[in-house]
Amino acid sequence: MQKRGFIWSLTGIGLLVGFMLTVQISSRPQGASAPVSSYVDLRTEIQAQMQENRILTDEIARQRAQLVQYEAAQGRQSDLLKALQQDKQNIDREAGLTPVSGPGVTITIRFDPNLPYFDKTAGLFDEIADQEIGLIVNQLFANGANAIAINGQRLVTTSSIRLVTSIGGTSTLQVNTVPIVPPYVITAVGDVDRMMAVLTLNNVQAELATMQEDCVITPHRDKNGVTVPGYVGRLPGTWAKEVSGS
Amino acid sequence: MIWLPVIGLILGVGIGFAVNVTIPVAYSSYLSIAILAALDTVFGGIRASLEKTFDGAVFLSGFFFNTLVAALLAYIGVQLGVDLYLAAVVAFGVRLFQNIAVIRRIAFNRMHTRRTRSARDSGNSTDAS
Repeated sequence: MQKRGFIWSLTGIGLLVGFMLTVQISSRPQGASAPVSSYVDLRTEIQAQMQENRILTDEIARQRAQLVQYEAAQGRQSDLLKALQQDKQNIDREAGLTPVSGPGVTITIRFDPNLPYFDKTAGLFDEIADQEIGLIVNQLFANGANAIAINGQRLVTTSSIRLVTSIGGTSTLQVNTVPIVPPYVITAVGDVDRMMAVLTLNNVQAELATMQEDCVITPHRDKNGVTVPGYVGRLPGTWAKEVSGS
Repeated sequence: MIWLPVIGLILGVGIGFAVNVTIPVAYSSYLSIAILAALDTVFGGIRASLEKTFDGAVFLSGFFFNTLVAALLAYIGVQLGVDLYLAAVVAFGVRLFQNIAVIRRIAFNRMHTRRTRSARDSGNSTDAS
């Protein structure tokens, strides 16, 4: 009798536990692999959200100003045309289609056989040039660079840095699908101090030296500084057209 | 008969999926603690049954009381800004493993006794023949 009571109680409790487990599993947010478990994470998250909020608020203000401009130009074709041309210039500048100049840095990377030879790393640069240059570019963009070009090829949102190996085994670095040859010259316009700081912090020169690559970093703090050319390659949509009616 | 609790558990899971009830994420941690308390009670009940000290009223009241108090403790902890739910997690966690260990030991003892008895019985039958 006691055993029967136990079995029935356990069955009821089992049913409840099963239900509770299912509710708990269904209630967990999907895709949240790691819960935000510390105040530090939360604080970082809030800061990021505030930053995003600020950027979006600025964007709204800019769009409102543009709307006012369009409204003011309504009915006056020449003014409207001027406003549209101004917009085009702004978009071109933002998209990196126009040359820019200002304070910046230049980084020149070239092979130097006089540098100390290390068995493990000598010559490695030729195999990972795209990764190394990509890292430098990312560090610069993340630390104050407004515009960057590699051997005159302006980096825009659709740019690529690829190491392409031919059938013969020769590797060529391509930026924006244009082959470039050493010495590689990275030109960046932006906050010189921050860019110099991140390059120093990440030991870029020392790291490249282990691969027998001489890296010369030159800051240009004067007003003329450096000039980064505009992007001249094909624009997205040159070949691929949007399918109408989709 | 022994499979009834397992069927109950599967049925509970089935009902849970069928009705598709969800609770706000903020209350999710309370339910986790409540589930831990429920599991503790279940294993406590199994242990009591094996030790022949099972009491249905104690079992059922323990289940609901422990579950509610654990969730309440977690809620108070959140209100006070102290991770009080850790106390419940530690307490129930330790008890859960203790109960599992005792259940395991009892199961082994029973198995051993049964084996010894069957060996003795087979010995006696050989002597008799």
